[in-house]
Amino acid sequence: MEDIQEILEDFLVEAFELIDQIDQDLVELESNPEDLELLNRIFRVAHTVKGSSSFLNFDVLTKLTHHMEDVLNKARRAELSITPDVMDVVLESIDMMKALLHGIKDYGNDVDVGIDIEDICNRLIAISEGDEIPTTPSESKAKEETKEEVKEETKQEDEVDVSKLSDDEVEAEIERLLKARKEEDRKRKEAKKQEEPAATSKQASTPKDLAPKAPAPRANQDSTPAKKGAGAVEQTIRVEVKRLDDLMNLIGELVLGKNRLIKIYDDVEERYEGEQFLEELNQVVSSISIVTTDLQIAVMKTRMLPIAKVFNKFPRMVRDLSRELGKAIELEISGEETELDKSIVEEIGDPLVHIIRNSCDHGVEDPEAREMANKPEKGLIELKAYNEGNHIVIEITDDGKGLDADTLRVKALEKGMISEREADAMSDKEAYGLIFKPGFSMAKQVTNVSGRGVGMDVVRTNIEKLNGIIDVDSEFGKGTVIKLKIPLTLAIIQSLLVGAQEEYYAIPLASVLETVRVPVDDIYTIDGKNVLRLRDEVLSLVRLSDVFGVKQVFEGGDTTYVVIIGLAESKLGVIVDTLVGQEEIVIKSMGEYLQGIEGIAGATIRGDGRVTLIIDVAALMEMAKEIKVDIKASINDGTSSKTKPSDYKVLVVDDSKMDRNIMMKSMEPLGVTPIEATNGVEALNIMKSGEHNIDAVLIDIEMPRMDGYTLAGEIRKYSKYKNLPLIAVTSRTSKSDRLRGVEVGMTEYITKPYSPEYLESVVRKNLKLPE
Amino acid sequence: MEDRLNKIINKQQKQLSEPDIKSTEEVMQLVGFIVSDEEYAIPMLNIQEIIKPIEYTRVPSVPDYVLGVFNLRGNVIPLIDLRRKFSLDVSKQSEDARYIVMKGQNSIAGFVIDRLTEAIRIRKDRIDPAPETLHKDKGMIYGIGKRDDSILTILRVESLLKRDF
Repeated sequence: MEDIQEILEDFLVEAFELIDQIDQDLVELESNPEDLELLNRIFRVAHTVKGSSSFLNFDVLTKLTHHMEDVLNKARRAELSITPDVMDVVLESIDMMKALLHGIKDYGNDVDVGIDIEDICNRLIAISEGDEIPTTPSESKAKEETKEEVKEETKQEDEVDVSKLSDDEVEAEIERLLKARKEEDRKRKEAKKQEEPAATSKQASTPKDLAPKAPAPRANQDSTPAKKGAGAVEQTIRVEVKRLDDLMNLIGELVLGKNRLIKIYDDVEERYEGEQFLEELNQVVSSISIVTTDLQIAVMKTRMLPIAKVFNKFPRMVRDLSRELGKAIELEISGEETELDKSIVEEIGDPLVHIIRNSCDHGVEDPEAREMANKPEKGLIELKAYNEGNHIVIEITDDGKGLDADTLRVKALEKGMISEREADAMSDKEAYGLIFKPGFSMAKQVTNVSGRGVGMDVVRTNIEKLNGIIDVDSEFGKGTVIKLKIPLTLAIIQSLLVGAQEEYYAIPLASVLETVRVPVDDIYTIDGKNVLRLRDEVLSLVRLSDVFGVKQVFEGGDTTYVVIIGLAESKLGVIVDTLVGQEEIVIKSMGEYLQGIEGIAGATIRGDGRVTLIIDVAALMEMAKEIKVDIKASINDGTSSKTKPSDYKVLVVDDSKMDRNIMMKSMEPLGVTPIEATNGVEALNIMKSGEHNIDAVLIDIEMPRMDGYTLAGEIRKYSKYKNLPLIAVTSRTSKSDRLRGVEVGMTEYITKPYSPEYLESVVRKNLKLPE
Repeated sequence: MEDRLNKIINKQQKQLSEPDIKSTEEVMQLVGFIVSDEEYAIPMLNIQEIIKPIEYTRVPSVPDYVLGVFNLRGNVIPLIDLRRKFSLDVSKQSEDARYIVMKGQNSIAGFVIDRLTEAIRIRKDRIDPAPETLHKDKGMIYGIGKRDDSILTILRVESLLKRDF
């Protein structure tokens, strides 16, 4: 019963808003009676209120607004001029409408308030019928009559009128259907009540379709005290979406700040281990991080809407479709209270419409076919939503004829979408995926319901846009299950951070199926494509650095990391050089200038303040098809090109000219090329510029501006220098100094004074030069 | 009372219908900078801020003059190398290099320049339109400012900020 209360509340909030608007508009209209825009707006208000109130069974209100609509409709078609007399009546009817709405708010229905609308209705009818055009009076009656008659009438009128009339036509049809449905349902309900009284509560919690809701308000309102209804209405505030978006952006900033704070704390902890203030800092950092997370959840929640907003329109759609197609189909909805971010709720509607239409048209069979297959005459479509971790899953199940993988393969072959070889290699699941290809349709003929091969392609694009995954499963003859897995929110997402050479990228975790570490030998090349055999699947492989043209600065080892990404129904293995970890990231746009860069969905700012790009998985998959690099060959190819000792460059970092000279003298017999730097900052700049390809570094510890330890630490931050020999040459000899050297990543530790031969041999050893 | 109101309204309307009556005497405020060896200037009002070079992240599949994006206090801003954009000699970045963050109608970007020179005030009547022959820059030049001892290429920020790939 709660959902009815909710709908009622929504209706009232909306209606009062509309009425505020209509008052202003009407006043303006009186002074400006020719303004069509204004008239249209007022007409729409009456129309909307009428639609909603008839849905909620407020017959009195419906009747009133219906007559208002008639008058206004004529006015906006210039068949009736708005004279002050007419205006008086219209205004009076608006007041009446307001009174009725207040009545609904207070009593929960439009009868108890005791307003008689007969008089005003008659006057409205008089206005509308006292018209010069003789054909129109029948129009209002026609609405109550059948659809066909209205159609006939409209044919005689011009095109604009047809489009306008069809509004009413639809309206009339809704009314008629609802009434019929109500009757039907009331009967069924009564029958059910008698049979199994216990079942009613169950039915209430999982409403089977729209119809049980329609008669409900009465029953509900009768039992609910009037006060409660009124109180509940005032407990909600309507807030502009923009404000919520702004709030969400601010929270995004806060999350980034939090990430940064945690990172800084880690650094500080390392440096000042055991200090008193660390504990305090830790407390502050963790409490801020908890509050930020809570705040983020709270704000996210304000943006959440129950998926019922989308689901609610389907019962009618299925009903109409089943009538149109001559099939008996029942729609069962569950989990409509599951909540989703507003932006996603808006996007999810279209794909669901297409899927359900498809299920009705292609899934569920004709009654005869169903009988032959020993199935109940009535087909069943289940629409289910539930949470799964950070995702919401929407499941659409039908008990229809299911998908036949073989027929799909043949059809795709006929249309030239796949080659014969591909068809043979295709698993059943992959074959089901074919239905999402643009232009693919299994329908023998194009109906106005489906069969153009567009719908499912739309589904795929929309779901991909939401970073969602589609999973199709089917059993021939038994039915089909389509599962949509969609992230809860779009602004802040979980991501997997990966490294490609020196660059880092974030992959939306929703698209990551798994990560594996594989030996290079397991990569095969078939038809110029790189593939990986993983368990019983064969996956295409691509190197991230090839897709994004990352500068190759170091070679990988014998094994490599593969991130398996999946989107909608396809999969791809992406080779990366490092896996950094999972992180919560905030998606930021790269601005107008860099919008829509292929393969990049946006950017985020990491804890260290750097910008990391977020991969657009759908685009990446497309781009991967164009990449033709023999991965295995290029990995094995990476042998060193250094042939003579002078190709080796050794960076000598010391602030004393004499010390540098001693070191260089000692290395002279080796024949390597020395490069000098007088302090850490200078050395780091030389390394960063990439001008020289440094093979080893000799580092003094005591230096101005940046000391040797810091320098070593900085150098080690670059993954291409992970294995670069760093040799400390220093007069600091204590054990703790040596340990510090090891900690920051020094490879060797030479204490001054040293013999030239010793230095020479250490350098030789580290450069792997022959004796 | 009514008369006075009318007077004011009339005055306002007059101002509206006869704009820039004094534009020849108007002064334009510019910021001058060096790219490679050439001096350029842009209107001061288009500058959001000028910062020292910071780390940036490369963006794939863009022309080489788009260096990437950088983090400006939580905003992700594109970074464009004017030397490459103008096909000038790309030497090493000097100590004086700066990022000028320029903002236009609805986009914003940082531009790498070699050195700032000075803030310049120049009368509008001393600015000539760009020579017709400079076609290849497609309106990137707003005009040529004549100064006592030199001439100044004034850039049009809107077209600098327009994506042309």
